[in-house]
Amino acid sequence: MANGIASPQLKVHPVVLTIWRQAGVATALVLLVVVASFLSDRFLTVPNLLNVLRQVSIVGILAVGMTFVILTKGIDLSVGSILGVSVVLFAGLLETGSMATAIPLGIAAAMVLGLINGLGVAFAGIPPFIMTLGMLSFARGIAFIYTGGTPIPILDEGFYNLGNGYIVGIPIPTLILFAVLIVSGLVLGKTAFGRSVYAIGSNEDAARLSGVPVKFYTALVYVISGGVAGIAGLVYASQLSVGTPIAGQTYELDAIAAVVVGGTSLFGGRGSVLGTFIGTLIIGVLANILNLMGVDPFVQQLFKGALIVVAVFIMTRSDRSGR
Amino acid sequence: MSMRVFCATALIAAMTGTIAVADETLPISGKTCEELAAVYERLPMIDILPMEAGPVEIDGEVRDIVVGFSQTGFNHPWRIAMLEAAQAEACRHPNVSLIVLDGNVDVAKQNNDVRDLIARGVDAVLLSPVESAALGPASRAVMREGIPLIVMDRDVPTEKTLFIGQSNVTMGESVARVMAEDLDGQGNIVVITGLQGSSPAIDRDRGMKNVLADHPGINVLAVGDGQWIREPAVPIMEDFLTAFPEIDAVFSHAEESSWGAQLAIARAQRCDEGILHYTFDGSNAGFKSVAAGTFRADGNYTPFIGDIGLRAALMALKGQEIPDAAAYEEPGLRLQLPDSPTVTEANAEEWIGRGWGDFEPPLDPCK
Repeated sequence: MANGIASPQLKVHPVVLTIWRQAGVATALVLLVVVASFLSDRFLTVPNLLNVLRQVSIVGILAVGMTFVILTKGIDLSVGSILGVSVVLFAGLLETGSMATAIPLGIAAAMVLGLINGLGVAFAGIPPFIMTLGMLSFARGIAFIYTGGTPIPILDEGFYNLGNGYIVGIPIPTLILFAVLIVSGLVLGKTAFGRSVYAIGSNEDAARLSGVPVKFYTALVYVISGGVAGIAGLVYASQLSVGTPIAGQTYELDAIAAVVVGGTSLFGGRGSVLGTFIGTLIIGVLANILNLMGVDPFVQQLFKGALIVVAVFIMTRSDRSGR
Repeated sequence: MSMRVFCATALIAAMTGTIAVADETLPISGKTCEELAAVYERLPMIDILPMEAGPVEIDGEVRDIVVGFSQTGFNHPWRIAMLEAAQAEACRHPNVSLIVLDGNVDVAKQNNDVRDLIARGVDAVLLSPVESAALGPASRAVMREGIPLIVMDRDVPTEKTLFIGQSNVTMGESVARVMAEDLDGQGNIVVITGLQGSSPAIDRDRGMKNVLADHPGINVLAVGDGQWIREPAVPIMEDFLTAFPEIDAVFSHAEESSWGAQLAIARAQRCDEGILHYTFDGSNAGFKSVAAGTFRADGNYTPFIGDIGLRAALMALKGQEIPDAAAYEEPGLRLQLPDSPTVTEANAEEWIGRGWGDFEPPLDPCK
């Protein structure tokens, strides 16, 4: 959390800014939860909160990978399409094989697509926006070609249980999200690679001069994002029991929104996966409470859009005033 | 350097792949004419504008006829099934070939596609528009060139040779009537729409509302946007189940969303409440779900109209009148297709195999 909004103390400022900076996005989440529990008496119940945690698991996992990329000042627009490729591969491979082969192969394929992104960005010098925009289309094409445009049903019961089962009362997709969060948090916080990710995003030249293997690490970040998209694909395919080639369309935008609302700077070098997780929850809780209240779907889009813009506006204001 | 080598290799591989495929199979559907002959046998409306197999003569002369088909997009198997029907018809006529363009569900792209077809000098244009109004200018351009224009499924508000389609409004009414009967005119329902703002979603909703106007005892608790697919329907239904202790039925505009809603019901451990599903799409998998008792009714919206469209185009090229085509509220002529019967447990078995798609329904998580 501290990384997301690291900035000196405020002296005099509007209340909202103070809250945001001193206690961070976590406070915003708490406020939203308090408001939500007043709006619906069904909000603050264990089954509903578990639902929210499961509902956010796919985008939450994608957003963790996206955090790595954005910390290096990059962007990965292809995660939704890479998720789509892994989803159709899981479905296709399960038709003939078992989970033991399908899961590693599907995730490996996602990592290979991430590697292509990484090579393009780090070694061929293609801007991340362009490289991953190309991959967005390329990977979606693979998913359509592989399926011939028709969804592949998944009839494997073990695989279904992976997406819909519980361990100690917690949905398995949520546990997968937690595992991804913890591992990523440790990698970013406790390893030389993690510290280098921040260094690359803050000042690439300085990082290079201080001996960070910038190209290699930049490429690695896209491999991670791809691999994490493959894990999100695993959750998608196992929850829904279908390998549809349109899986994950526009999820890249939801993932970016979660990262940004969670306080990670699009200009690199500042942010954390914990912040991203809270950002994911803020968006997820908002969608949940709007559904619980039966708000019209048109109006829901309006709320979501407004939330993203307001969140980022407050953060950029607090960034500036902190300097 | 290594990147360039990689790109070149990938490009060559992709190109040779395409060429090898083009030898045997038709684009998008990936089927050969031989396989499509079997598809043709099962098409439900070959008796509408019937046409003999064999070469098509125009003014007593057999020449190559090229028909352009601008499809909304191929992101949904329903759209591919429509193309397959057209390809199956084209295969029956050795001098007829199709140029197929993918609109990517983007009005701007499809507009360009139609103009490209004109530039390529096609003999006739089949158009299934992304959106009605936006394809008006391109349609006008086709008509100005004197090229026959057959519009399918969704209409355009401008002059055309012929529009063919089924009505989503009457189909919505038909499915809603089954629901009203099952509920005895009393109950709480939730609605999961198709992509909000799209014309089939609007029309299916209108059909439902027409019927519900006569059944004030049926109460719509909430509406969510299922976007035609499974994924968004799951969290929406989960939240509805949390919010509403009593839900009698789910009226969803798409089978995929209904399967998603059923998944949410299973997760909420509310299978025993017997929440009923009413849905649309008319796939074989959907019919199987009706037969298995997962769905109560499936609106039978058939994609198998591509063959009719191509026959209409060929008839127009031959200068033949299209029987039963009549003036209607939009410019041009319309051939109103009969509604296919809504599939319920009474007729599900007889319809399995005559819907679209050859995939299986998901496992019913409540069973």
